[in-house]
Amino acid sequence: MQDLLYFFQQLINGLTIGSTYALIAIGYTMVYGIIGMINFAHGEIYMIGAYTALIAITGLTALGVAWLPLILIVALVCAMIVSSSMGWAVERVAYRPVRGRHRLIPLISAIGMSIFLQNYVHLAQGSRNIGFPSLIDGGFNFGSGEGFQMSLSYMQITIFITTLICMTALSLFISRSRTGRACRAVSQDLGMANLLGIDTNRIISATFVIGAALAAVAGLLLGMYYGSVDPLFGFIAGLKAFTAAVLGGIGSIPGAMLGGLILGVAESMTSGYLSGEYKDVISFSLLILILLFKPTGLLGKPEVEKI
Amino acid sequence: MRTSVKKLVTAVSTSVALMGAGHAAAEIQIGIAGPMTGPVAQYGDMQFSGARMAIEQINANGGVMGEELVAVEYDDVCDPKQAVTVANSLVNDGVQFVIGHLCSSSTQPASDIYEDEGILMVTPASTSPEITERGYELVFRTIGLDSMQGPVAAQYIAAQSPERVAIVHDKQQYGEGIATAVRDTLKDAGVEIAMFEGITAGDKDFSSLVTKLKQADVDYVYYGGYHPELGLILRQARSADLDARFMGPEGVGNKDINTIAGEAAEGLLVTLPPAFDQKAENQALVKAFEDKGEDPSGPFVLTSYTAVQLIAEGIEAADSSDPFDVAAALRDGTYQTPIGTVEYDKAGDMKSFEFVVYEWHSDGSKTPVN
Repeated sequence: MQDLLYFFQQLINGLTIGSTYALIAIGYTMVYGIIGMINFAHGEIYMIGAYTALIAITGLTALGVAWLPLILIVALVCAMIVSSSMGWAVERVAYRPVRGRHRLIPLISAIGMSIFLQNYVHLAQGSRNIGFPSLIDGGFNFGSGEGFQMSLSYMQITIFITTLICMTALSLFISRSRTGRACRAVSQDLGMANLLGIDTNRIISATFVIGAALAAVAGLLLGMYYGSVDPLFGFIAGLKAFTAAVLGGIGSIPGAMLGGLILGVAESMTSGYLSGEYKDVISFSLLILILLFKPTGLLGKPEVEKI
Repeated sequence: MRTSVKKLVTAVSTSVALMGAGHAAAEIQIGIAGPMTGPVAQYGDMQFSGARMAIEQINANGGVMGEELVAVEYDDVCDPKQAVTVANSLVNDGVQFVIGHLCSSSTQPASDIYEDEGILMVTPASTSPEITERGYELVFRTIGLDSMQGPVAAQYIAAQSPERVAIVHDKQQYGEGIATAVRDTLKDAGVEIAMFEGITAGDKDFSSLVTKLKQADVDYVYYGGYHPELGLILRQARSADLDARFMGPEGVGNKDINTIAGEAAEGLLVTLPPAFDQKAENQALVKAFEDKGEDPSGPFVLTSYTAVQLIAEGIEAADSSDPFDVAAALRDGTYQTPIGTVEYDKAGDMKSFEFVVYEWHSDGSKTPVN
């Protein structure tokens, strides 16, 4: 019983972190699906989302607002607006001018963008870790009073529910809406979509904006869950989310979700049953194995020569 | 015509060289190398503030052998690669005395370069034993060693007769070194070590680790590393209702841990150098810091001050500003400093240095417990 509770606790830990990987991975996978390129500045957009949310929360608390849902909604909206504009700007500055050139050029300009944004936040916000207020406290406990107790915090529940809502909304948007249909068309054949009268520039911008908005959601959630932000934390999270996207099959939205969850659970099980030291070893070995035996990822479609 | 041009060139270059020499004779450069930016910049602030104060006061009292000390500051971000770059630029700038570095993992590679290039280094903060284990002639410190600090922490834990203890570290030279020292002392004292595990510095998610600590049902958790990770572990442990007492080395003891961990920092145990700023004989110096609007209470402020003072007194004792002579003078002499009487052994370590266990509070204050 004890061992079972321990297992479930590690599973919950893994699914929580995995859902946020999935939210960030969407940004990578959508951009790749549409223009076949990796947006290396995406991790930084997530980091900026977390900072914006923190600034909004601090501001509202200073103004005396105490009603939690209002604080969260305002913080979320602010973070999404700022991150989306960043996503849009990254596309305009680092991608559009070099689109259609050799593949390496946008890759390099995105890495430059990432370094720029990191250092910008360093300058503007300082390089220290800043504490994030834990707004959602408490949770459920399972298990007898004596031994190991499994806990499921309200924060973890919030993360699951928010991720679920975002993913469902995104799937509906892609499958039902007019813009979503255009997205799918552009992803199948950009040139043809253009000939058929789809404003491909607008669709590509929209992709960056949607990915950035979801990254902002992840930024707010993870900031609250972990408890601190620093200018470099977008880089590691971005790397993990990128791994998740590749694992699930880059270009595929359900793949990003699956990849995120698998990666999160693999990490928490490794630190739970082996040792925290091997966490990254296992997750990146997993990536190498998938790439060796199924190069398109778990749910990816085989494709001819894109990056 | 041609010869006169040649002569002119020779004359100009000679006078430039003389000017350079004259310039060097009037001042002694003191390099200060530590993290001005990056995740542990807070410690860098302590180092720079202490060293600058010492340089100011020494210059106000007429300098060293009539020469003025000039501070040259370098940012190593507490990154070993950056530290090597900094060490090389110190060499290029012709600096012969360095206060630094701060993080052991930066001090170690930088000290190789200093030793090769004949630069005297005094670190006010690096506690890793390996730094002075290599028989270097020009490496000194004004702080104790992990091999002194770890046992103090371990003896404190052992005295509370805990059932099980977990030891976690950040896999870096400083963190793992001190965690190993704690583990060995605890083992000798017969305490059961339930876990000895590394985490990755820079990680944010410690939920799996906290779950594991909960499962292991430990009374004490010793963490070897710095405050950004421990702050998060404390916070995530609190929200998961982990019932254990945490303890860490001086690398976790600063006010930044309160902004990260908040309430969860209450009751954290920290081994620190004794509060030099509380000593009666240092009150004039403490006032000088306060007049400048700086806080002398950080663990590395007065150790940095002392590092500069030792170099200055070493130069005077040796009656030479050659780093090798100064090093010999430091090894031979006994010096009265704000951190007490300093005597060096052959390796460049202080013959005695005391660590004290403090209890940390959620408002950033601390009280001694032993």
